[in-house]
Amino acid sequence: MSLGSNLDLLTVTFYGTAIALILIGLYAALVKRSLIKILIGLSIVDSGINLLLVSIGYLKGGTAPIFSPAVIDKNPAMVDPVPQALVLTAIVIGFAVTAVALALVIRLYRHHKTVNIDEIKNLKW
Amino acid sequence: MVGSPVQLIAIPLFAAFLIPLLGKAWKELVRITPGVVILYLLYLSVDLLNYTIEHGRVVEVIAGWTPPWGIDLVFSPFSGFLATLMLFMGLLVWIYSYRYQTFEDYDDYEPTLKYYLLLMMMITASVGVVLTGDIFNLFVFIEILGITAYGLTAYYRHRDGAEASFKYLFIGSLSSTFLLLAIMIIYSQLGTLNMADIAVKAHELKPVYKITALVLFLVAFGIEAEMFPLNGWAPDAYSQAPAPVGAAFAGIVVKAGLYTVIRLIYTLFEVGGTYEYLIVMGLITMFFAEFAAFSQTKLKRMLAYSSIGQMGLVLVAFGIGKEEGVYAALFLMFNHAIIKSLLFMSGSYLVYKSKNKYISELNGVGKMMPVTSFLFALGAFAIVGFPPFAGFWSKLAVLTAAADSGMLLIIALILSISLIEVIYYLRVVNRIYFVKRDTDLGITKPTPQAMFSMLVLGAIILIVGFYPDVITGVLHKASATLLDKGSYINDVLSLSQTIN
Repeated sequence: MSLGSNLDLLTVTFYGTAIALILIGLYAALVKRSLIKILIGLSIVDSGINLLLVSIGYLKGGTAPIFSPAVIDKNPAMVDPVPQALVLTAIVIGFAVTAVALALVIRLYRHHKTVNIDEIKNLKW
Repeated sequence: MVGSPVQLIAIPLFAAFLIPLLGKAWKELVRITPGVVILYLLYLSVDLLNYTIEHGRVVEVIAGWTPPWGIDLVFSPFSGFLATLMLFMGLLVWIYSYRYQTFEDYDDYEPTLKYYLLLMMMITASVGVVLTGDIFNLFVFIEILGITAYGLTAYYRHRDGAEASFKYLFIGSLSSTFLLLAIMIIYSQLGTLNMADIAVKAHELKPVYKITALVLFLVAFGIEAEMFPLNGWAPDAYSQAPAPVGAAFAGIVVKAGLYTVIRLIYTLFEVGGTYEYLIVMGLITMFFAEFAAFSQTKLKRMLAYSSIGQMGLVLVAFGIGKEEGVYAALFLMFNHAIIKSLLFMSGSYLVYKSKNKYISELNGVGKMMPVTSFLFALGAFAIVGFPPFAGFWSKLAVLTAAADSGMLLIIALILSISLIEVIYYLRVVNRIYFVKRDTDLGITKPTPQAMFSMLVLGAIILIVGFYPDVITGVLHKASATLLDKGSYINDVLSLSQTIN
């Protein structure tokens, strides 16, 4: 389960994609000046982290984590269910935060008639 | 013991979503329900606190899954003290905001409904943060806390609430990203999410993972705890949110943030140098925040920066460590909750009619609003630590703790930074009482409810000031509990043996 062991192609792809997504998202969130693009960036970071979490629990050739004698006799290796539960929760939370943020963007747009962060400067940034 | 800790989370969560339905039956229920629920929870929490002080901590297992597999709630004198403090502040904020005028300015009752719903969720989440014994559950509660705080910050349409809220949300989202990464590192390396279990296994972590996780955790929690340089959201959120929300931020939300930092450093990890790190970060936070507060022209921003400065002092006290340091830190947290809430509550009535809330608009307001001004002055004297008010004892406790550890340089730094605090608070009090009024702004009398909750806070400041013994017993017990990591681990993990 540790990050370093059994580095086959699939694992590398999983981790590589996840880290790439996080970096792309962070770039968008920190560099872009449009509020919408910043939010898209934050969502991409979320996706990357979720992918990373699921990959940790992944086991090559593992079955779905359901405890029943028939399944366990056939193939005792199961993927770890905990990260999947965590990711489900994290997805829901990410969705809620994005929804709140979009509502705020709508409010800001009505107030300032722009979504450019450089032009919304009533408070010090 | 009348109830279990899980009720402290389940009841307000249920009540929060019941509020809209009750409002359909009778609109006044929207305002009444939160108060009744919080009052009951406070009773429950005080009762549990008394029980735990005598019999040791209560560990509640959720849904029959014992730790380290399931989620557990830990009600110890330490977490229970914070939960009780939060509920008490929640009750006062509710009293203060009951029929708060600007809420009633809106014609429909929809905004009022949302306010109470979000306030209930905020209290639920804060209590959840301090009670939970599972790091992923902690993440969920922090996110609930965040979302409600963003919502409440953007409450006023006519202010720049949405801007402050977006800023807060952006920083908060980054914080949750870091938190999730840290949780992931812990889970991938140790295969557990339970705090006690992590504390047992922490030494198995490779140093590189340990340091990475620690840094990610500190960044994530530091944002909520207003630690420098992650506190950019605070002044805007405090100044744009409605007054009772500012008080709730100071009394409830920041306490939850601080708790996470403390739990992380005192229970989860033992890494050399973290205590020194707390002291250094605390001093830097204090230094920048107090200078920033000194140069503010707007009242609420000044109070917000002062709040950050106080959090810095709390971090220093926790960094001193040992029982004395922790005791001083908890005392400071208690004092900050009551005093800063009083300052926000009375201060916002002093500048109620003003649009920009400039400090200069306070000139001569003392003659027009004698009671509110007196309460503000009382709060100002208490927070800078003049005897015989509550703040004096906590500052004295910090200095004694530092002196006993031989940290003379820190004493000198704390005292000199506090001097700035004294100057800018006295400057405001001076304007209130001794400068002639030069604006034609009218005044708004506080509602009787608001006056009541301010008077309660003022009374507590005086009572704790004259008889600090009413609170010190609980504080000593709480700090002893926090430091006794072994019994925490034992109490939580022994459950799996006794029940199975």
